Amino acid sequence: MAKNEKPTEALDFEKALAELEGIVKQLEAGNLALDKSLALFEHGVRLARACKEKLAEAELKVSQLVKDKQGLFTEEPFREGGD
Amino acid sequence: METAAARKVLTVSQVNQLVAGMLGEYFSDVWIEGEVSNFKAYASGHLYFALKDEGSQIQAVCFRHSAQRLKFRLEDGLAVIGHGRLEVYQPTGKYQIILDTIEPKGLGALQKAFEQLKRKLEKEGLFAAERKRPLPALPRTVGIVTSPSGAAIHDMLRTLRLHKAPVQVVLYPAQVQGEGAAEQIAEGVAALCARSDVDVIIVGRGGGSIEDLWSFNEEGVARAIAAARVPVISGVGHETDFTIADFVADVRAATPTAAAQLVARTWEEFETRLRDLAGQLLEAAEQVLFEKQQAIDELTRHRAFELMAGHLAEQGHRVERLVSAAEGSARAALAGASSRLADLNLRLNRQNPVARVLRQKLALQALADRLDKPALALLSRHGVRLGQAGARLDALSPLASLGRGYSVCLKPDGSVVSRVSQVEAGEGVSLRVSDGAIDCRVERTAKHNSGGN
Repeated sequence: MAKNEKPTEALDFEKALAELEGIVKQLEAGNLALDKSLALFEHGVRLARACKEKLAEAELKVSQLVKDKQGLFTEEPFREGGD
Repeated sequence: METAAARKVLTVSQVNQLVAGMLGEYFSDVWIEGEVSNFKAYASGHLYFALKDEGSQIQAVCFRHSAQRLKFRLEDGLAVIGHGRLEVYQPTGKYQIILDTIEPKGLGALQKAFEQLKRKLEKEGLFAAERKRPLPALPRTVGIVTSPSGAAIHDMLRTLRLHKAPVQVVLYPAQVQGEGAAEQIAEGVAALCARSDVDVIIVGRGGGSIEDLWSFNEEGVARAIAAARVPVISGVGHETDFTIADFVADVRAATPTAAAQLVARTWEEFETRLRDLAGQLLEAAEQVLFEKQQAIDELTRHRAFELMAGHLAEQGHRVERLVSAAEGSARAALAGASSRLADLNLRLNRQNPVARVLRQKLALQALADRLDKPALALLSRHGVRLGQAGARLDALSPLASLGRGYSVCLKPDGSVVSRVSQVEAGEGVSLRVSDGAIDCRVERTAKHNSGGN
């Protein structure tokens, strides 16, 4: 579970949260070796931090669908008027 | 009796023509009220029915171009008020009223239409609670169908920005009132559903009169929402306005802003959950360290541990001695070999002495390793753990101590109370515990005699 640890573009928030929940449960059960516990703890901290960072850098992106001559939709940036 | 020549004989057609002319002239602008009966809608789009009251009835027609403008469906038994003109249908000589406007009597036409469509769709089960889908836990892409220039889109984007929702918005710009608006809204819902990235759709517009909001009461919009691949939030008008779109949507928000808030809230809940979990993670780790530390304390208190530590040290020394002895003998062997090497130089090609010496050295090393490994492993297991546990505990212990029920007593100036002499009866102090502070007043102080310093 600690393998695909790339908190870049495709961070799956739901999965990260579920994993974090699992880690907390494992730690709370309290029957792990210390080094295993510490490894889990560190992994958990990394997950939480990755989520936080991803959330902090998120910016609202707005586009609009525009119909072209063939009746197909293309996506264009949307700029709000009269702001 | 007049003579045949003097008689003015009219043909049937002429009579009907005259009557038609007179009726048409005198009854060109008539308001009529009555109950619809024997209603028939023809494929041509024309509507035929009778209007009647207790004592009489009249044939009525509503031609297609007028019928299309009706906001509600005619049905038998409906009391209506209509406007039109009388006309004689000359092939039969019967007269009828051609209606250009029909309104339900009592309720306004729109209100009536609303009630009718609501009843119809309700019967189909389109409003049923079990059809309602929950919003996605974490919507990434939000489709919005509304006017690109209205207050609604502005409000929604502002709300999403305000709450820092990490979402992408795809707007389907649609007219939200007037002719063709309903078709555009329905098309927008379908177009957004056709994109694989859209997780949730908001349809909405700002408040207005019932006519302004009318598109959201049209059947086409209701059907498009019902058929949507993803959950749809309606956010139409003000708090009190309910539209058909609201009934059929998975979630009804009172306003466009409220609709955007629903989306933003999913992310806020996520952040709260994340914060809670991070806290739990730290607590759990502290607990683990605390327990391990206790176990280690327990061990070190044991005399056996001291003995073992002594034993380990002794073994370590032995290993060192062995290693250096091994190295020494390897060096000696090497030295001996190299002195002989000069002599044997060319002759002993096959028994390459360097290789033999190396082999010897490796064998010795292996022996040393064998002795070395278990001892080192034991040492490192305990040593490293102790070191790590100690470091963690140092870093976390104040918190951990508070969590275990200890508290710190602070004076108002923030200094820590560690001696009786620091406080006086009546003085206020604050107990800092794991999740906050308890303000207290000193009743009296008592110094323990045994309390050394």
